[in-house]
Formats: sequence, C-alpha cells, structure tokens
Amino acid sequence: MHIEKLSIKAATTSIIVMVGVVAIFLSLFAGSYFRQAALNEQVSSLARVIEVASHEVLRSVSEYTFDLGMILGHNKQLITALDEADSNSSKQDIVALLDDPFINGFVGFANINLVKLRVYSLDLELIAESSVGISGIENHLPKYLATQITRRSKIERLKAMDALWLSDHSPFFSTLVPLGGLHSVGYLEVVVDPVFNLHQIGKITKTPISVFTSTDKQTAINDKRLQDDYLPVTFTLLTSDGEPAFKIVGYEDVGKLSVAMKRTQLVTTSGFLLLTFGTLLFALWLFNKFLFIPLGQMVEGMKQIAHGKLDLIVNKKGLREFSIVADSFESMINQVKLRTNELERLLNLDGSAILRFGQDGEVIYINKGAIDLFGFQGEKISDLELCDLFSDEAIEVMANYSANSVAVQDGPLQIQLGCVHKKGTKFTSDAIITPLVADGGFGYTMVLSAVADNEDTKLARYVANKVENNEHRIWAVERSLNSILEMAGNNHGVISSLGAIDGFHARSVKLQDDKRVLREQVVRVMQSALVCWESDLGKTKLELAEESGIWQVYIDKSTPTTRTLDKYLHIDSCPKNPRNQRVSDTAEFVLKKTKSKLSSCRKKLEEELEAFRTTKSGV
Amino acid sequence: MSKFTFILLLSFSVTSVAREKPHAPEELLGANIVSVEEVVEMILSKPGMVLIDSRKRMEYIKGHIEGSVNMLNTEMTLDKLQSVAPDKGIALLFYCNGVRCMRSADSINKAVAWGYTNVYWFRDGWKMWAEKKFPVVID
Repeated sequence: MHIEKLSIKAATTSIIVMVGVVAIFLSLFAGSYFRQAALNEQVSSLARVIEVASHEVLRSVSEYTFDLGMILGHNKQLITALDEADSNSSKQDIVALLDDPFINGFVGFANINLVKLRVYSLDLELIAESSVGISGIENHLPKYLATQITRRSKIERLKAMDALWLSDHSPFFSTLVPLGGLHSVGYLEVVVDPVFNLHQIGKITKTPISVFTSTDKQTAINDKRLQDDYLPVTFTLLTSDGEPAFKIVGYEDVGKLSVAMKRTQLVTTSGFLLLTFGTLLFALWLFNKFLFIPLGQMVEGMKQIAHGKLDLIVNKKGLREFSIVADSFESMINQVKLRTNELERLLNLDGSAILRFGQDGEVIYINKGAIDLFGFQGEKISDLELCDLFSDEAIEVMANYSANSVAVQDGPLQIQLGCVHKKGTKFTSDAIITPLVADGGFGYTMVLSAVADNEDTKLARYVANKVENNEHRIWAVERSLNSILEMAGNNHGVISSLGAIDGFHARSVKLQDDKRVLREQVVRVMQSALVCWESDLGKTKLELAEESGIWQVYIDKSTPTTRTLDKYLHIDSCPKNPRNQRVSDTAEFVLKKTKSKLSSCRKKLEEELEAFRTTKSGV
Repeated sequence: MSKFTFILLLSFSVTSVAREKPHAPEELLGANIVSVEEVVEMILSKPGMVLIDSRKRMEYIKGHIEGSVNMLNTEMTLDKLQSVAPDKGIALLFYCNGVRCMRSADSINKAVAWGYTNVYWFRDGWKMWAEKKFPVVID
C-alpha cells in the first residue's frame, strides 16, 4: 500500500473506527471479567462469614459447657468423692454424679448435645467418666488439651480451656474446667457433639448449608441446593490442632446477584460505549472542523495555484502546522510571481513579438513587442484569440502543424505568417513556432521577428494607411447607400431604378442578418444553459466555468470572475465572431450534467441548441 | 444569656453525658489496685481475705468469684461490713462489673472512710474475670 494514497481524513477515520471497535471488545471483556470478579468476591466474602459464624456457634457452645462445668466443678459431693477416689464406691459415686446431668438435665440442656463427662486427676489421669452418652472414645484427655495445660503455670491452669478435636467417631468439642474451683482437686471435661449446633451457622449467614466431616461423611445437616442460582461456598473448620474437622458448604443465592450484575454490566457497558462513541464523534467533528475542511480548502487552493492561478490566496485557517505550510506555500508562490514578473519584463525588453497560445488558440501570453506589433496598446488582451491576430491561411498552417503530433518531436517550425493588425491591415512576418505541451494540452509559443523600419516597411505602412482610408471611404459610401436604400424603400418609384444596387445590398444584408441571428442564438443558448445549470443543479456561473473547463476563470483583485463567459450572456457584449464550438460544448455539458432532470428549462435548452446548430450549419 | 443559648448549652451537656458512661477512677485513695492474676494469688495465699462483690443481687447469682460476699454499694453500711470484716486491718478486696462500674469504687470510699486500712480494688472486675475463664460460682 502506498502511504501517499492515504488521506489524513481516511487515516483518522480508520483510527477512530479502530478505537471504537477496541472499546467494544474491551467493554465486553471488562463486563465479563467484572462479573467473575464479583462472584469470586462473593464467594470469598461468604466464606469469611461462614468462618465467623462457625466460631460464634462454637463460642456459644463453650458458654454452655463452661456453665455446666462450673456447676459440676463446685459440686461438693463430686469434690468429696474425688478426694476419696481411690475406693470403688467413691468412683461409683462419681459416675453417678456424672450421669446425673444426662438423666435429670441441666441449665442449657436443650442447647448442646452432651456426649460425655469425664473427671481427671491433677496429673491428668482419667479417674472416671459418665456411663451415659457416647461410648468407645479414647480414654484419655484430648492431646491438644493435655499439651496446652501442661505448658501452663499453676494459676493459668485454673482457667477453663476449649478444644475442637477429632475422635475415632467424629469431631467433638470439649471444655476442661478445674474441679473444685480455685482450690482445684482435679479436672472435669465436658464433651459435646458440635454438629448439634452447627446448623445455627445457616441462621447466622442466612443461607442453606450442608456440613460434612473431614472424611466427607454427610452429617445430619444437609440443605444442599443444586440449582444454578445457588453458588456453593465451602469453608473448612479446623480442629484446635489445625486439622480439618468439618467442611461447611453454604449455598449462596446468586440469582439476585446475577440479575443485578447483568443490569450493572448492561448499564456500565452501554454507558462506557456511549461515552466512548460520543467522545470519538466529538473528536471526529473537531477533526473535520479544524483539520479536514481547512486542509481540503488549502489543498484545493494549492491545486488551483499549481494550475496557474497564481493570484489565488491559499486558505490559512487551520491548525498551526498547516497554517505554517500554507504560509510557506504562499511565500513560495510570491517568489514564483516575482520571478515570473522579472521574466516577463525581460521578454518585454526584447524587440521580438512573443506570443503563447493555448490548445484552443486563445492567447495565454503576449509580450510588449507583440502588443505593439498588433496594435493593442493599453487594451486587455486576455480575450484575444488566434483568429484575431492571424490570417486564415496562417491559422490553417498552424492547425495542420498541431494536428501532426510528430511536430512536437520535430522541434520549432520556421515560417512566414500572414498577420492581422488591430486596425485590420494585413502584413507578413517571419515566425518561429515552437510546440509546447502545457496545462494538459498542446499549445504554441510563437516568436515573430521584429520588422525593420526600412523603406519597404514605410511603403507597406503607407499602403496600409491608404487601404485603411479607402476602407473608411467605402464604409461611408455604404452607410450613405443604406440611407438612400431606406429612402427608396419608402418611395417605390425609385426602387426599380436602383434594382442593381438593391441586389447587392440584399446579399450584404442577408449575411449580416444571419450573423446577427447566430449571435442572438449564441446568447440564448448560453442564457438557457446558465439558467438550467443554476436552477436544476443549484450551482453558480463560476462553478460552471470551473467544472466544464470550457471557460477561463480570472482573478480580479482576489475575486474569481468569468469575463469571457459573461460576454456570451448579453447580445451587446457577445463577440462578433463568437466561439460557436465552445457554446455547443457548454450546452452539451449542462445537458449531460442535468441528464436526470426533466425540467422545462432543460427542454428549452435542447430546443435552443438544436436551433443554434441548424443556423450554424446554414451560415 | 439568651434562651436559645441556654437551650443549646443544655442540650449539649445532656448529649455529652448520654454519649459516654464514665470510667471508674484510675486510682483510689487508701486502696491498692490489683490485676486478675493477683486476685487469684491473693485468694490462694490469703485465706482470711474478705471479697466484697458490690454488684446487684441478680448479677451475683448468675456468677461470682469463689468466696465473695454480695454487698451492693448503696446497701453497704458499717454494720454490714463489720459483720464480715470485724477487723479494720483485715484484707478487703472489692470488685464490681469492670472499669465502667462505679459501685466498688463507692464501696471502697466508704470503707476507707470508716477506717479500713488494708483495702484492695480489683478495678477490671467481673468482666475481666469471666473473659479469662477463671472458675466462677453459679448459684
């Protein structure tokens, strides 16, 4: 791909479109990621809630076991029996006392599942245990409690201790309290099954839960929810030793969360996209206003200047860099104009007549020597054409020359040409014609040798003056003759005697009438074409000249004008020998451009053009 | 002083009082402040020490330190105190609910005023005792 073919507008628009597409993908990705992150955070949050709830439940259990332990620990019968624990009867008494809460109940009986009561000596040897409750558990103090209490000082040992520990059956919760209070004589262990209380976790977290043991054995607590709307969140409750005791699964209802998430996702994504596209459109608008339009105008101006309209001023209203470029370009143009003027001045100093003609034979450049030679001092020469300066033979020679494309390669042509002075006198001049390819077409550069002011020239001028004077006389005679014929027209008696003169006059009048009619038709065709152009296409006369390329656009004091075209719009200013082909081309151009329209003005233009062609062929 | 300013000051003082319950004084004249561990040690080492629970009766029933005697500060008279501590040089230990409880401080002030010289104050009180999970007596 060639970078020079890519416009700033296309590149900027492509970049903005790419940014828009990336924004769409990013917003969709971010929405999905956001939802997953929210779910993960929800899981993490619920796991922490379950953790706090499970510890709260165990703390609640501990309060009940502590109270039971304190009541039994200050039981005087139990203390007395423990003092006399050596005898079998005393041990039986102890067992009976330990069985009593199972049988007769205790404060908080309904709140915990008491499974065992055990009494130990101060040396932590098991002395007795309740006969009621679960059986088959290890007959010694749980390892964690034993380790912790042996590490404690004497006073510290008076504090109650809790532990969640693993038995062969299942995890149990024990509270160890000193038996005998501050004056302890042993220890009492209150063993409960925590599963009885773990269902309260669900009440605290307000979610359905299932509880499994460390071996994935399902406990009595099972509120398992399998629907998609429930997200399982697992928390592992550890024993005091740090081993897994229970796996608590809470089922979070994420249905509402999902709905809220989708709504949030929709709102945030839509908002983000709207904001992004709004910003991009605003950026595009800014680009268009401050970059594309000024740059386009600048480029268009530069193109026109490059095509020769050096008087055109480049639009500098743009961003700073473009303004600098326009300034530089204008400086360059000024330099070019300066050099051109200098060159023109040099050419004017030359005695030769130098002319340049365009493809259609219009004068593009004429130096002072040529102006003097043809007698156009002080007049505008922009409307001059080949036929105004040379004889028909000379024009034919040049037409043949230009038709032969080899001529371009052959080089300059040296020839004698018949020239026509402004006053109408004809003279011959040596000419060097150089073909020139410029402005997209062929043209000529013509150098006419300066005619020496010798006797022959003086004679020629004398003859020319005589001819001119004679022409004036003939014109005066003709005008008098016209008056006489008019008089004769009013007097039929005289007309017959002037029959011969009348025949001459009729031919002359007919030719003049045909030319006048043709000129009138030229004006009508041009007027119709302009009306059709303006009404059907809504464009201006200037645009007609520019777009068709048929009529030259001039710059007068920085204002573009269509002087030549304007002349063809009024009978008074229309040239005596109008450029008929240009008129036809203009009408055809307008008809082509308004092909899709079926307006009355277009129909009229077609009729005018047809009439014009008929008249032209007759003339 | 305008009525408005008076109402403003009054409402400010009322809200200030309601906002925060006052702490017991950091120290009391004539009383030694002891920690929970020192209390246990004193109970074990000084069998003759008298423990006065200055809380309400219901609070006492729900749980109290072993060997303590319930005597609400407002109901404590010299006669009642002398009935449990006839000797004014005997070790006397007062406690109530904790650092925000003023009852034991009030009782100590009375006891000191009545001439008791060996007074101890368990300023952290029942709250600290229960937190540490030391043995309690539940009636």
